[in-house]
Amino acid sequence: MELKLRNEVVNGLIDIVGVDAVISDKSELVVYECDAYTMQKNLPSAVVLPGSIDEVVRVVLLCKEFNLPIIPRGAGTSLSGAGLAIDGGVMIALTRMNKILEVDPRNRRALVESGCVNAWVTREASPYGLFFAPDPSSQSACTIGGNIATNSGGPHTLKNGVTTNHILGYEMILPDGSIEWFGVEPDGGEDVEGYDLRGAAIGSEGMFGVVTRALVRLVKTPAYFKTFLAVFDSVDQASCTVSDIIAEGIVPGALEMMDQVITRALEQAYKVGFPTDAGAVLIIELDGLTGGVEQQASQVELICKRNKAREVRLAKDDSERNALWKCRKRAFGAVGRLSPNYVTQDGVVPRSKVPEIMRFIGIVSEKYNLCIPNVFHAGDGNIHPLILFDERNPDQVKKALLAGNDILTKCVELGGSVTGEHGIGAEKIDFMSKQFTEDDLEAMKKLRTVFDPDQRCNPHKMFPGSKRCSEFIVKKQASA
Amino acid sequence: MLIKPDSILKLQQLMVDADKIDQVDLSNINQLVEHVPEDMTATVQTGMLVEDFQKKLLRGSQWLPIDPPNPKEITIGDLLSANLSGARRFGYGSIRDWVLGMVVVLPDGKLVRNGGKVVKNVAGFDLCRLLIGAQNTLGIIVEVTFKLLPRPEMEVNLFKQFQELSQAEENLEKIWHSDLQPVVLDLYRIKSQETTMVVSFAGPIADVETQAAELISMGFKSGISLGYDAAFRSKSCYSQSVLPSKLMSSLSGLGDMDFVARAGNGVYYVRENLFKNRAEISSVFGLEQRLKMEFDPLNKLPKLQLK
Repeated sequence: MELKLRNEVVNGLIDIVGVDAVISDKSELVVYECDAYTMQKNLPSAVVLPGSIDEVVRVVLLCKEFNLPIIPRGAGTSLSGAGLAIDGGVMIALTRMNKILEVDPRNRRALVESGCVNAWVTREASPYGLFFAPDPSSQSACTIGGNIATNSGGPHTLKNGVTTNHILGYEMILPDGSIEWFGVEPDGGEDVEGYDLRGAAIGSEGMFGVVTRALVRLVKTPAYFKTFLAVFDSVDQASCTVSDIIAEGIVPGALEMMDQVITRALEQAYKVGFPTDAGAVLIIELDGLTGGVEQQASQVELICKRNKAREVRLAKDDSERNALWKCRKRAFGAVGRLSPNYVTQDGVVPRSKVPEIMRFIGIVSEKYNLCIPNVFHAGDGNIHPLILFDERNPDQVKKALLAGNDILTKCVELGGSVTGEHGIGAEKIDFMSKQFTEDDLEAMKKLRTVFDPDQRCNPHKMFPGSKRCSEFIVKKQASA
Repeated sequence: MLIKPDSILKLQQLMVDADKIDQVDLSNINQLVEHVPEDMTATVQTGMLVEDFQKKLLRGSQWLPIDPPNPKEITIGDLLSANLSGARRFGYGSIRDWVLGMVVVLPDGKLVRNGGKVVKNVAGFDLCRLLIGAQNTLGIIVEVTFKLLPRPEMEVNLFKQFQELSQAEENLEKIWHSDLQPVVLDLYRIKSQETTMVVSFAGPIADVETQAAELISMGFKSGISLGYDAAFRSKSCYSQSVLPSKLMSSLSGLGDMDFVARAGNGVYYVRENLFKNRAEISSVFGLEQRLKMEFDPLNKLPKLQLK
């Protein structure tokens, strides 16, 4: 952006939010050049940290006046580059709007600002025996607004459902500056007249507007848990166990798999007693009422044994259970010890196809001579192969991309999807045309047009043919 | 006009040709596409009757846990387009929570797929949620994939009658704040002075028996069917939705009118339309009009009716 214009925009932003809430210095902007997907980097023209809904509206109106892209951002934990400022533009980071406004235990809901951290909601709700169900691994950092943008999942969404099942309503500032409330109103009943705009805009990856407040559903904390660590000699045995549990009609609270590379890395980092010689482990958590959980626990143990589990360990108490989950959620981090770089895939297959896709990943790993450890939501069929590479080695970078491509293509072939919870973002644009026809994509674009006719909100994401390096024509209206 | 296509292709053709379509009869597009018990999913054409679909799922001892009134008469398409639900809504949510993907014929005749067949999927925008409850005003859903549940091992319905609403409220609050996990939590008063509370439990036998015992100790009895819901709602009736905590005061305000209430959801049904003119207050009306214009610019399909 030309300097004079940039200064004008920055001064306009400072007028709205104050000088300490605008970042425009290049050295500071670097923090915002990417999110947790680090394969691509783009500098925003400016970052603004509004402190109120009114400030968000005024910032959005300023962007409209200057015809600038708006990039909404939560905590920047996206794994698909959903928060990249591909064409520059004004990044609206909501991290200062992070309050929990109200917890209403009687009606099992909470009203929060969109920058509120996911885990805080459960922390505030737990004294009432309630929790917010979506629990992405980044939950100690990621925001509710980001969860709405990507329709986030997490280990416990197997039984409880994903974000769209737990967001009652929310406020969105559209790119034209209008303030809308979609879905259930803070004091309203759960049936809402008209089209389900709440549902239509969840998972829209920040391309429809800026979410400022959300009304979330709280769920009763289960009365009883039983959490197992089942140890297997091979990934195949663990995969077959997963398929068998689901086929038996058991829906555990969570059903996660970690293979040997992951358990070794975790054991090195945290020393929790994972067997480092096992091919794979499953974390199987059953929750509910005592009788039913006990009944399912014996079924699950039987299925594990039938698949030749070496050992089925029961977490003795809450602290053992918490330790297991802490490890699971730190798995991506521990992989940092193994390799300078990695790229995470997020494919989904029908649950009965888990063994098949795991075998396929093994073949891909051999084909490209790359280490591809796995830690994933096995019960949902949502795989997360971590493709390890060294970005200093161009051949490895190429192979890592090819390996990811092979795996996701296979997921689609098996009747699945290229993303279960991370989103398309900037990363998986090319896969959209493998999974959808031109007409399917056109219909999605119609929806976007309704919310953002100028395609100014988080541009160049999701759709094939997005002008990835093109320029937005910056025009300042002469009369303004 | 009313159209009754004998295939999806024919429907596409009719959508292109017609100027105005008031109603679509999909009873010829009614096949089960697949039921994969080991994935707990099923794909069905939307002309199939809800009851017929549930019967097919029995093969894998599974079901779609949504129980609209009159499943013998309504199709999967009706269930989706009107966003119907029944007494078990408290336990299982509504149909939007069970849809994984769908195939839709748009007013321009194009066949569009959204979502998929897997239980977790965030590729692309969510047209599924948009089209549920959209009353066939943006497109016609012709095929849908559902997430399913195993049929519960056991289900027990219990009831208790109260002379005064306040006594019912006391029991309701006690259940609400307990560890009990009812799938039905209803109140109704039909042609009677008394208010009946209905509580159902479903799941593993051990859980159902323990929970039922707890309610029996509160004076509940077994031996009631959930048929009151369909019986009341099959005649013309109107619904209202309030905060669950405000349900009791709303019901008190009804005087001696008949009602059926989803106490856990804060939703109640009455015979008279007490809630006229609500349409006026919809704040997102502009967006809804834009949606209609975008998907159905020629207004071939009906307009959205506000209840």
